[in-house]
Amino acid sequence: MISCNCIVQAGQISADVESTLRTRLSELAINAFGEPAEVSWLVIQQGSGFTAAKPSTSSIISMTANRALPQAERAALLQTLCELWAQETEVTLDEVVGVISDPQLQ
Amino acid sequence: MPLYLCNATTGAIPDSAKPAIAKDITRIHCDVTGAPAQFVHAFFVENEANPPLGGKSAMVFGSIRANRTDAQKSQIIEAVRKSIQTHAGLSLDNIGMMTTDVPASWAFEGGEIMPEPGEEAAWLLRHHRANAPD
Repeated sequence: MISCNCIVQAGQISADVESTLRTRLSELAINAFGEPAEVSWLVIQQGSGFTAAKPSTSSIISMTANRALPQAERAALLQTLCELWAQETEVTLDEVVGVISDPQLQ
Repeated sequence: MPLYLCNATTGAIPDSAKPAIAKDITRIHCDVTGAPAQFVHAFFVENEANPPLGGKSAMVFGSIRANRTDAQKSQIIEAVRKSIQTHAGLSLDNIGMMTTDVPASWAFEGGEIMPEPGEEAAWLLRHHRANAPD
């Protein structure tokens, strides 16, 4: 399983959209790494998330690859990851942070 | 990125203290590293599995871009712990913190790969232009 940690702000993403995102993240992991994603979902309560010291609207998605990735492949996957997130939610790309790590530093 | 995720026991960091701590974290990170404030995320949670509290009342885990010096990291850790002590009234002994390095090339923010530390100017210029009104 590919570890995928999602951090979102409270009230930002409905249960239906969360379900869709979990499915799409797992599909992305299968396509990229041959394994489904094990998605963890952390909701930051209102008044507890800050970006640039102001109330945050940012989502952070962090996935760990099962192999070392060439940078061109990582960049393409990150773009896909962040764009699918923006497509399914009401956030803009400016509000999405994606990270895809190689396995050795975990 | 950076993301500072602060886990605490219930009520250890009151809601009223969080804006001030977040403001300090942002200022500290920017002062020490020269990074722009818009990159700095400070999130607070309670009784989560991660980062492990390890017997502390509060534990901060900072995921920061790689290539910061050990001295910079130590400076950030000391100042953030002091901020929490000041605003939440916890003893320093009860506040833990650690950081981990994330290569900038592994992170994507604002629709593109993050710039390396010290190379933010062009990124910011592109984004200011993109966000400028017509």
